[in-house]
Amino acid sequence: MTQQKTESSGGISELWKKEDWWAVWLGLGIVIVALILWASGGTIKSIAVSVPSYDQFSAVPAFFAQKIGGLIGLFVVLLAIFSIAVKLLGHSLKEFIPGFLILFLMAIVVQILGSWNPMKEYNLEAPVLALIIGMILGNFTKIPKWFDTSLRTEFYVKTGIVLLGATLPFTMIVSAGPIAFGQATVVAVTTFLVIYYAGTKWLGLDRRFAATLGAGGSICGVSASIAVGSSVNAESDHVSISIAMVVIYATIMVFLLPIMINFLGIPDGPAGAWIGTSEFADAAGMAAAAQISDKAVESFTLMKVVGRDMFIGVWCFILALISVTKWERREDNTKPDAKQIWTRFPKFVLGFFVASIIMTFVIAGVDPAAADTVNSDVISPVKTLRTWCFVLCFLCIGLTTRFRELARAGLKPFLAFTIGVLVNVPLGYIFSVLLLGDFWASL
Amino acid sequence: MKKGAILCVQRARFFFYFFEEGEWKRKEKTPLEKFLLLKKAGPDDIRALKDALSRRLERIAQMVEILTSAHDDWAITTKKDYILLETETLDFTEAVKLLNAHGFTNDDFVLRCEYRRKWGMM
Repeated sequence: MTQQKTESSGGISELWKKEDWWAVWLGLGIVIVALILWASGGTIKSIAVSVPSYDQFSAVPAFFAQKIGGLIGLFVVLLAIFSIAVKLLGHSLKEFIPGFLILFLMAIVVQILGSWNPMKEYNLEAPVLALIIGMILGNFTKIPKWFDTSLRTEFYVKTGIVLLGATLPFTMIVSAGPIAFGQATVVAVTTFLVIYYAGTKWLGLDRRFAATLGAGGSICGVSASIAVGSSVNAESDHVSISIAMVVIYATIMVFLLPIMINFLGIPDGPAGAWIGTSEFADAAGMAAAAQISDKAVESFTLMKVVGRDMFIGVWCFILALISVTKWERREDNTKPDAKQIWTRFPKFVLGFFVASIIMTFVIAGVDPAAADTVNSDVISPVKTLRTWCFVLCFLCIGLTTRFRELARAGLKPFLAFTIGVLVNVPLGYIFSVLLLGDFWASL
Repeated sequence: MKKGAILCVQRARFFFYFFEEGEWKRKEKTPLEKFLLLKKAGPDDIRALKDALSRRLERIAQMVEILTSAHDDWAITTKKDYILLETETLDFTEAVKLLNAHGFTNDDFVLRCEYRRKWGMM
């Protein structure tokens, strides 16, 4: 007899059982608490510890002496809020707490190393160091199973993206949104069709498999493979292969795109837009953009989150419709349902928008002097907390990208995906740099 | 791909709708829709609807029986117009084979599978 493990899905409990919603609650919660403290004359600056650049290692003990209280406060706050979420998401706090402590200590180490000026000269800043250290540990040491509970790559990046919303004026999102959507749609549709066509016509892959693979390579990475695989009832090994393809290429691109951007001397705005168009996963894209600059992170987010991620539900609905009406029928039956446009909508995007709207209204509603204090007491520390979330995420990318588990995908899907990459990356460059470079540079 | 390398968790969701049997695919009306279109429903119309519903509910009961006999990890949710069986521990292809082996076709159920990441990867 099998033990009962499966719980019913859906309903209002999704609000506290889905990581996406928790990213909204945590991100908005931090922004609202920061605003309340600001309104009552306080600030969260004391726990928003950032590591300044330095030349000599002798500066490190002085930094610790000055900031140890803030670091402990930051750890306690992050541990508390993530623990609440992790507990309600059904994971063990016994596993999460020690794992998070290790992750936080690693985040301190990579930020200290990444702030050392000689490291910066070789572009070995915190994001890339976090990835490299994580990958070395994840692939060459045996990571204990309990540590996996704290390795919540998507959760940290989504929370960081909600916090990022608070630092972007809503007017910027509104003005860049249609351009981002237009560019992303042209590139994504082209890439999807190339992978799908190459997969089905040249390599003889099943249509559902090719669609799942194409979605991963064109829309929004692993999330898209999962969502489209679900919509067309793809088989689990096909979804897994698509995930493996996305992770392999996302990992390559996280290093390759910044190198190409530096080599070609692309300005930060277009560079972020290119990463947003041609990187396959939010977390990896954020890691690539963070290697360039804050401006690249902003244009990356506008392109990836507003231009691509938001529309995953629409893609799923269209493909489910095609799957049922055009492709050959199998005995397993599905039924297209327009409700999935909402159910598959990435909810953290709502948090990103709401955070931006709140801060835009607050700044618009106060005089210039007060707006300056909002910038220094709210937006600046929120930016620092966002950086911590991203560094945790980058470490998790490295620690969870275990190449042994990804190297079993097979030649045909690899070829189909590779053809898609060879179309996607140049097309992303053409749109982000050659055609719309001025727009992205002027953001 | 080997089982150990599966990077996602599959949730098989079988919807058994009380009032429809795939009529939407043939662009036909369900017995209930036909009944609701009647200008003046008589006793025979009511009995015809009763027979259609009775037959449909019996088929649903048989399908639920087959699935729950073969595997015990099902989350079962009842709604006003359907019953939903969900599992994360039996592949949907296995469950479909079982139903097909007992003569049930793709008109008898609606399958929506859902995937999620297996571990905290990007």
